[in-house]
Formats: sequence, C-alpha cells, structure tokens
Amino acid sequence: MHHSLGSSTDWIVMIVYFIAIMLFGSYFSKYNRTTTDFFFGGRRFKWWLIAMSIVATGVGSHSFIKYSAKGFEAGLSSTMTYMNDWFFVPFFIFGWLPIIVYTKIRSIPEYFEKRFSPSTRFLATILLLLYMIGYVGIGFLTMGKAILPLLPPEFSIFGMQFQITLMGLVIVIALIVGIYITYGGQTAVIFTDIVQGFILIFAGMLVFFLGLDYIGGFGLFWNALPTTWKLPLANFNNPPGFNFVGIFWQDGIAGSVGFLFMNMGLVMRFMATKSVDEGRKAATFNILFVLPISAIVVGNAGWIGKAISVLHPDVVPPSTDPDSIFVVVANIISLPGVFGFVMAALTAALMSTVDTLLNATAAIYINDVHRPAKKWLSKKVKSWKEEDRQELNAARIATVIFTIMGVLAVIPFESFPTVYEAHGYFHSTLTPPLVVAIFLGVFWKKFTNAAVVATFIVGVALMILGMYYPRPLIEVFAHGTEYDPQHPYTYIGALYNLFVCVFVGVLTTVTRNQQKKLTDWIKTTPNHKSLMSAITFISGGIFVIILFNLASLPVLMLLAAIMLVLIVISSNYYSKYSEKTHTDGLTVWSLAKAKEMFKGSKVNDRDGEIIKVNWKLKESTDDLMYFSKNDMAKMAADPGDLVYICDARKILGGLKSVHSTYGKPHDEDGIVYITQEHIDQGQFVKDKVLTAEKEM
Amino acid sequence: MPSFENTWLPFIYLYGVGGLFFVSGLIIIRKSKAINMEKKRHRYWWKVSLFGFFYFMAIHALLILSALYL
Repeated sequence: MHHSLGSSTDWIVMIVYFIAIMLFGSYFSKYNRTTTDFFFGGRRFKWWLIAMSIVATGVGSHSFIKYSAKGFEAGLSSTMTYMNDWFFVPFFIFGWLPIIVYTKIRSIPEYFEKRFSPSTRFLATILLLLYMIGYVGIGFLTMGKAILPLLPPEFSIFGMQFQITLMGLVIVIALIVGIYITYGGQTAVIFTDIVQGFILIFAGMLVFFLGLDYIGGFGLFWNALPTTWKLPLANFNNPPGFNFVGIFWQDGIAGSVGFLFMNMGLVMRFMATKSVDEGRKAATFNILFVLPISAIVVGNAGWIGKAISVLHPDVVPPSTDPDSIFVVVANIISLPGVFGFVMAALTAALMSTVDTLLNATAAIYINDVHRPAKKWLSKKVKSWKEEDRQELNAARIATVIFTIMGVLAVIPFESFPTVYEAHGYFHSTLTPPLVVAIFLGVFWKKFTNAAVVATFIVGVALMILGMYYPRPLIEVFAHGTEYDPQHPYTYIGALYNLFVCVFVGVLTTVTRNQQKKLTDWIKTTPNHKSLMSAITFISGGIFVIILFNLASLPVLMLLAAIMLVLIVISSNYYSKYSEKTHTDGLTVWSLAKAKEMFKGSKVNDRDGEIIKVNWKLKESTDDLMYFSKNDMAKMAADPGDLVYICDARKILGGLKSVHSTYGKPHDEDGIVYITQEHIDQGQFVKDKVLTAEKEM
Repeated sequence: MPSFENTWLPFIYLYGVGGLFFVSGLIIIRKSKAINMEKKRHRYWWKVSLFGFFYFMAIHALLILSALYL
C-alpha cells in the first residue's frame, strides 16, 4: 500500500481548490427559493449547461479509481461501459424523458403511484432508497481509496498515535460532503459541476499527455501495450473478474437502463432543462461525445501505468494495487502542485457525484416518505411558505441521515477486490427489479399493478435464491463464465436477475384475465376477508423462509411459485387498478395526452419564433405574462398557452428564466408585463433584454 | 494474435443483442406515435438515433482493427 504521496505544495493546491469550489457553489444557493428549486433547479436551463453539469456526475460516479484499475489490469477495454449506453436512447428521449416532464412527477416512486398504486410507490421507494444509498456508499469508498495513498499511515495528536484507516477517512469525507450539500441545493450542484466538468476533463487529459511524455511519446506507449490490452472490448467470458458478456448485461443493459431511467440524480438534471427537446439535446450530446472522452479521461492512468510497468517495472511494479494506480501514476508523471491539482479535481468530482446522489435521495425522501406521512398524520393546514420551509429543513436532516447510511454501506463493498467489482455486483443486484418495473410500466400498457408488485416481491425472492444458489440458477445464464466461489457471477448475475424479474412480470400480466376471475370468485365467498388476511400472512412467511434460506432449493422454488400466486391474488384483491385510468398519459402510448394534461388544455403545436422583449412590472398575483398582439403572432401563441422567458445573455444558460402562461394581449410591441413573483423567480435585472418563446 | 473470443465475438454480441434492444426501441416509439415523423424536429431525432448506433459501431470496429494491425 502506498502512503504519503505528494508534497506540501500539492496539499496547499488541494485545499485552495476545495475552498474555491465551495465558495462558488454557495453563491448559487440564493437561487433556491423553493423546494422545487432546491431539488430540480426550477426547470429552466439550456441543454449545454446541463450536458456540462452531467460530466462531473458521470465521470465522478464511474470514477478515475475504478476505471484506471481496470485499465491497468485489462487495458483499453476499461472504456466498454462508457460506450454501450446508446441502445436505450430511443426509449429514453421519446419515452421516459417526455413522461417524467409532462406528468410533473417529482420522483420515480411517484410515477409508480400514478401508473399503478400507492403500494407499488411504497415498494419502489424502498428499492430506490437502497439503490441510492448503495451508490453513495460506492462514492465514499472510491473517495477513501483515492485519498488514502496521499496520507501517512498514522499521525499523532498530543502524543497519542492514531492509525489512518479507510473507514476513518470515509467518515471524515462524509462530514465534509454532508455539510456542503446541505447548504447548496440543486442549482449549486449544477453550477459547481459545470466548473468541475471542465476541470476534470482537463485534469484527465493532462495526466494522459504528461504520461505519454514520460513514456517517450504515443508510439512507445502503443508498442509497449500487449495486443490484448489495446482491444476495446474484454474477452468474451473470462476472467470472472472482468469479462465482456457479464459486463454487457450488468452495465450495457441493467446499468444503461438504470442510469437513464432510475438514477434520480441524472433524471433530476434532465428535469432541470427548460424543455423536453433541450433534455434530448443534453442526453444525446452527453452519450455521443462526452462519454467517449470521459472513457479516456478516467481510464488512461491505468493504460499509462501498464505501459510504464512494461518499460520500467522498477518504477511501477506490475504488482501495484490496481485501485491505487491512478494516484501512483499521477504522482510519478506530475510535478509538485500539478499532482495536487489532479487529485483535487478527482476528489472534487467524486464529491459532485455523491452530492448529486444525496440531493436526489433527499428528494425521494421528501416526496415519497415525508409528504405522504405528513398527509396521513396531520390534518392542520399550513401556509404554502411555512410548509416549504419545513420541507427544506426536513430535506437537510434527511441528507445527513442518508450520508450516515452511505458510510455504513461502505462496509460490505470493502470486501471486493476492487471498486469496479463492488460497483458491478451492486448494480447487477439492485437495479433489475426497478429497471424491469419502470421499463415495462412505460412501454407496455398492459403491464398491471399485480405484475409490478409480483416483480418487486417474487422477483426479489428469486434473486435472493440466485445469491444462495448461483449454481445451478445463474450458471444456466453464465455464457460459460467461470465460477468464482468467493464472488460468484459478479456481473452475469444481472442477466439472471433481469430474466426472473421479466419472467414474473410478463407471466403475471398475461394471466390477468384468469386472475380477475379468481379474485371475483374469492370476493363471493363468505369469509373472504379472513381468507385474504391468511394469504397475505402466508406470503410474508414464505418470503422470510426464502430470505433466510430455510429449506432446500427445490422446496424454495416451489414456495416461490406459491408465493407468486398468493401475492398476485392479494394485490388484485386489495388494489383498485384500471388499465384505462392508470395508463392515460403515463405510458409511451399516450404521450399526446400527457402533453395535454401538462398544459391543462389543448396543445398548440404551431411553429413560432423566439422574440426579444423588455419587461415591465405589473401589479398582479396571477401567474400570467402579457405580450403585444404582434409579438404573440410572431410566437404563434394564444392566451392560455405556456411561455418561457429568459435573460437574453446566452452565457447564463437559462439561469435567469421563468415559465408562465400567456395572458390577454396588449398593443405595446416589444414589451412584456410580468409580476414581481416572475422577477424574483427569474432574478431578472432591470433594462436587460429577455427572450420569449412559446412552450406549447 | 488474440482469439475470436477476444476480438470480434464481443463486437458481434454487443451490436447483435444490443441492436435488438435498439431496434425494438425504434419500433415502439414509431408504433406508439411518440415520434411523429411529420414533425421536422422529430425526423431530426430519428436520424440522430440511427447515427449514434452506427457511430459507436464504427468506433469499436476501428479500435479492434487498430489493436490488431497497428
């Protein structure tokens, strides 16, 4: 294990960098007027601003540490996971993205309530919180592994010796991250991420070019790498710790859908764009251009490390711990100060990822735990402002609690050989039920409430069985991947998990007519209430038997099948679900309706111009803006249509902007009358020109 | 020379199986009318979707060829 890397100059650079970033972020916290601003940034930003802000989140979450480790172990195939996200882009940009914007959902579980029932929202909240907390844990573990090599093995205060451990370091990091996010909010995160995105790409490329220079040029670097190290895709099914087919299912399928559809941190960024089309631009630009560059940025230290270990094994021994290769290489090739800058950029990016995730987790808590619980417990009606202030405080407390839980999540992940494997296992285990439920819910209107409940409960039970009995259950899907008894089927387990969830969901959906007949018959029996209580109780008992592996595999499989039947009967009995009301405007098959529901009236799709106007104050409390007849004609707008006005300075990327509705027109061309609330929300400056455009 | 399992098999699997998901996505958004080909902006996004698939395919193919022959 490397220790005490870097010099005092590096530490000074790192501290200055962190203070500068925190001051920069706190400046933007003034834009958090409501919880909507705190979590979503007020749905106002231009695509390029969001695309750049995603860089730090994407790069940070996938991390320099884990990809450099795989780059060092396996070569250029470490880039695989950055270049396999395109397959689901059509589903995202024309399916999920318009749905999340037009349904005005504030969290993914809220979608489940609208599309299915409150009970599925509850189950989705549990699964999603577990997923997000696990992700936070991975972020903390990575940050700990990045910073640990910079520190001495121990230090002393007042004569007492303290050892620096990974867990101790993670706790200190969590404290710093928690403090920052609690006072920042989404706008602060977006803006610090933009700066960090640029710096991160610069720092990663700097390491690459300094590394090439150290080796003696690209030719020497390329020739030093063995051919298998130069290939962009890993070996098909071996070794178990890094193989193509497993990573394809774990990352390319479960991970891509998870990343685009259920990563609330990312979803909230897209929701912060001013329109669906801007969200599409941000997503496609990110996947087409930013991710391939990021793949080089995050993995190159490993490739450089490998080349140095071939040419100069005394400088970088081949036995170097892969998780510390980034820090080791950066230290070797950089001058004092430059190393500090690279390390500051790396840790700050990781902080961005964790910040985004914690912000998103708090959003889920407020929307799916706090608000429903308050609605249920309290009947006292508070003013809107008082309610909002209370929620903002609750969000801050929740952030602190989730930070602590993220720290605890580091403990199980620490047992994996590298962060990459820990992340891979985490993804393949936690994403499939939610991924399948969201995906089938959005794209298959026949997918029922009973099917999603069964996917969440029986699907998870079958996944647990896969963990207990990887042989024979996962082996069937393993594509010949070798069995590793310590960490069996780390990646390809995702295929088994996806399969069982899809199987349960599809089977339950296609048998819905038979289920209805059975449920109707049960309702006619005299003791149906007691019978249903018994069925629910038995289902719970079976789940416990499976959870603790209290029988042999054939018995457990049989119990899982029985549980499926019982769960389906229960959900049909207890939940009122109608395909008509629960799919209208909520699936890809009724997007036009979703758009109409968003607007509240018929959509105006006529193409109009973007115009420039000056604003004047109108004393009013109505959320209406008043343009001239001629300006309305240019925008092809009618009273009642939705409008977006924005400070005309492009560099602001929509920061000073607001959405509203057109009021009745006047005769003063080039003038828009807006209210004090609009001015406050958009932070508009007197005499600064605005642009206005019709939204729909 | 690395084996087929190291070079082209992952490539074929990636764009074969991944391609199935991609094409089914295109079919669903067309059939559901989520994408309206009468709108200029939607036609643009349709082209971008197709471009992206072949763009990544070309990058991977070029990288494999570079690894093998450069």
